[in-house]
Amino acid sequence: MENIKVSVDLNKCVGSQLCIMFSPTVFERDGNGQSKIVNRNGANLAEILSTAEQCPQCAIKVENTQTGEVLFPPPELAF
Amino acid sequence: METISLNDDLMAPNVISDPHGYYRTLREAEPIHWNARWGGWVLTGYNEVVEVLRDSLNFSSDRMGFLAQELTQEEQESIAPIFKILSYWMVFRDPPEHTALRMLLNKHFTPIAIERYRPMVRKIVQKTLDKVLAKGKIDFVKDFAYEVPMTVILELIGAPDLDTEKIKEWSEKLGVFFFIKADEPRRREIACEGINALVDYITPLIEQKRERPGIDLISLLLSAEEAGSITANDVLATCVLLVFGGHETTMNLIANGTMAFINHPDQWDKFQQKPELLKKAVEELLRYDGSVKSTVRWAKEDTQVGNTLIKKGDRLLVSLSGANRDPHQFTDPNGLDIERNPNLHVAFAHGIHVCLGASLARMEVEEAFAGLISRIQCPELVEGAQLEYYPSVVHRAIKELPVYIKPLIK
Repeated sequence: MENIKVSVDLNKCVGSQLCIMFSPTVFERDGNGQSKIVNRNGANLAEILSTAEQCPQCAIKVENTQTGEVLFPPPELAF
Repeated sequence: METISLNDDLMAPNVISDPHGYYRTLREAEPIHWNARWGGWVLTGYNEVVEVLRDSLNFSSDRMGFLAQELTQEEQESIAPIFKILSYWMVFRDPPEHTALRMLLNKHFTPIAIERYRPMVRKIVQKTLDKVLAKGKIDFVKDFAYEVPMTVILELIGAPDLDTEKIKEWSEKLGVFFFIKADEPRRREIACEGINALVDYITPLIEQKRERPGIDLISLLLSAEEAGSITANDVLATCVLLVFGGHETTMNLIANGTMAFINHPDQWDKFQQKPELLKKAVEELLRYDGSVKSTVRWAKEDTQVGNTLIKKGDRLLVSLSGANRDPHQFTDPNGLDIERNPNLHVAFAHGIHVCLGASLARMEVEEAFAGLISRIQCPELVEGAQLEYYPSVVHRAIKELPVYIKPLIK
């Protein structure tokens, strides 16, 4: 997970807490009721990607910092 | 305290025809206003609305539980069929019961999961456009906006042949319980008729799926029941919820969005010139005049919201439309700007109860407008048309939208 960056876009997050339901070891609520990363190594990449898919807002971005590749969301889903 | 004369009649004709104007008056005076007539708080400020929606620890959605406390035993028995179903609706439940159902269903409503329905929706849109172009003068609600969502939800539950007219009629009857005038004397009776008919119609379908499972949502719910993660009551109630909630709100979104463009033809022109704005345009239509105006919560504890102390047991009408026009959050909130970005509106609510069907609705509305702008000119209201909205605190639903449809000349 060294080269993987996970982030939550606060201009998109609506506080559905779905990421917290699916990966409680990775995500947590912040003071505004939105999500934040508490431990990016709390789950493997497959779980993080599958959790990112659950977000109705596509607010969770998963990137490979070495290659710059965006693993999620695919460009056609971004709004 | 400053004395302000605020109209507390949420069903007043001017409030129904122009909710945005009414909520603006409220928000400017008191973003958290005690409505004595309704017996609860009305929230119209963005920050206050978002704070409550994202706080499911202090604010409950257990509508039936709180209703039961207000009713006598006899009154409760008179609406037993409603209690039996609605108590199991995910939207009216708090964690932890809410969590299991939401996690189960959410996987099938993610932005990626719903993409599989896009080609089907595109086809329905094109077919419907052929029909309305042939007619020229149409009721946009019935002839266009209704077709897409109803067909899609039936496909999702794996029952494409259900009688949509009947479902519509019974859904409207059940809707009387929530949405329509509280002074309708027969409202509970009508709603019971609606729910009984829906249950009678859907129960055999569930039994069929139990015997011959498919890849549809009913079969999925049944396999979760077999695995012991949900109950038979959850299955039945959720099927009723999907049929009831699955079509009307999206239909209204498409109609309200079209009405927004009729009033802002410059934005329609811009959209036709820049169809790549599709996703942003849909977000703006959701913000500008979404199909759900408000939702209700109950305080589980004494809780401070903004400058106001909400007492345990108080109810709150959380105005999504009010928040979506708050100038503290949105620049020029009463203008339609299809390039608006960021646009963190609350049209699908925020927090754990954010609309399960949000991605599905977005995709359907995207396809509807992508089809419309590629084939027709901005619809024109039929001269002398009197637009009327259903008298509802919750739904922003136009009764009829008579328009002329003209082909785009390229």
